[in-house]
Amino acid sequence: MNTQEYISSGIVESYVLGLASQEEQLEFERMSSLHPEVKAAREAFETALEKQALDEAVAPPAHIKDKIFAAIANEPDQPLINTSTPSINTMEQAPVITMGWLRYAAVASVILLLGSTILNFYFFNQYKEYSAKYDQLVSNQSQMASANQTLQTKLQDYESAINLIKDPQMAIVKMPAVATSPNPASLATVYWDTRSKDVYMLVNNLPQASSDKQYQLWALVDGKPVDAGVFDVKEGLSFIKMKNIPKAQAFAVTLEKHGGSESPTMTALYVLGKITS
Amino acid sequence: MPNSLTYTEQELVLLLRDRNNQAFNYLYDNYSGALYSIILQIIQENELASDVLQEVFINIWRKMESYDATKGRLFTWMLNIARNASIDTLRSKSYQNSKKNQELPDNVHSSSPGQITQLNVDNIGLKKTLEKLKPEHRVLIDLAYFKGYTHEEIAEIEGIPLGTVKTRIRNSLLQLRAYLQ
Repeated sequence: MNTQEYISSGIVESYVLGLASQEEQLEFERMSSLHPEVKAAREAFETALEKQALDEAVAPPAHIKDKIFAAIANEPDQPLINTSTPSINTMEQAPVITMGWLRYAAVASVILLLGSTILNFYFFNQYKEYSAKYDQLVSNQSQMASANQTLQTKLQDYESAINLIKDPQMAIVKMPAVATSPNPASLATVYWDTRSKDVYMLVNNLPQASSDKQYQLWALVDGKPVDAGVFDVKEGLSFIKMKNIPKAQAFAVTLEKHGGSESPTMTALYVLGKITS
Repeated sequence: MPNSLTYTEQELVLLLRDRNNQAFNYLYDNYSGALYSIILQIIQENELASDVLQEVFINIWRKMESYDATKGRLFTWMLNIARNASIDTLRSKSYQNSKKNQELPDNVHSSSPGQITQLNVDNIGLKKTLEKLKPEHRVLIDLAYFKGYTHEEIAEIEGIPLGTVKTRIRNSLLQLRAYLQ
């Protein structure tokens, strides 16, 4: 297609009237810049169109001009559209309501937070106080429990002692101090179960032994001393169970080395008592 | 408004880009009638056409920087702004609704509905020139230029091949040019 055919294809009119496709527009602009006759044809049609339009002009209503000039006077830089439409006004009012509500909510939440902080502080102090009191109570309670334990043990000792004392089958052998006793005020008692032949010691009065020594009970059987066990002197009323002695005529206590001796040390004989039956 | 000044197109464009009110005044006085005419031919309703004219001149004022003199004359640019704004209005939902609402009173009051306040736009501008075309050509130009349909849409509306639409429109445009000159 040569230039003349291109010009007379109708593309010039399509382009000027805005009926050309985007591709056609680009092609036409390229052709116009390359070929002065294409550009000239375009300008000729444009001029004819303009002249015809001016000839056929219809005067618009006069007030339109004032409106247009009022509009452009308000906007050198910024688009002026809709600065005072009702929709904008309602949009401005809506946030005011929301803000008021939010402000009350914010104030309320600050007050609640402050209140909560103060209460927290108060409750924390209360907690510390009660926690200390509780610890003290727990400690008192455990002291009482252990005291109770001690009392229970003592009570059991006493009960079993009473049971021994009141038992009618029990032979009671009083052992007063011998003439050569290192402690003349010494006194001890043997409770001898006549059925089981069990032997229980009750220390009425014996001096405390040093830690390397222990008292030893002897049973005198047909004139010979038989070991009946060692014991320590304790506070309070306590019966000490000794070795089982099937047969004896007397009991005696000597102070021996720790753990006891084979035969009694006669110089350390404290008490002796014969069985009266 | 009397205006003894005249401008070359180049001067006018420079002054308008400089936001010169006097140049804009000149532009309005010289071209508002021609543009109003083309708007009326598309919208055919005086009040709405006035609104569109107002919008078109404000857009010309705002968009002056985007005018490219290498692509065509200032009037051609303004004419296309006016045509596009008119077709947009024609297709807008509010316009379609207002048309529906008007149908009822028109039928009640008048034996010539829609004509009372209207100019007979068939007697002005391009539309008058269109009268000289063959009817099958005229309807295509009407759909393409005054209704803004694409060639593809026109082929579908008229039930004719796309190639035929293109050829007929090209031929019609060539005839139009002959009538204009």
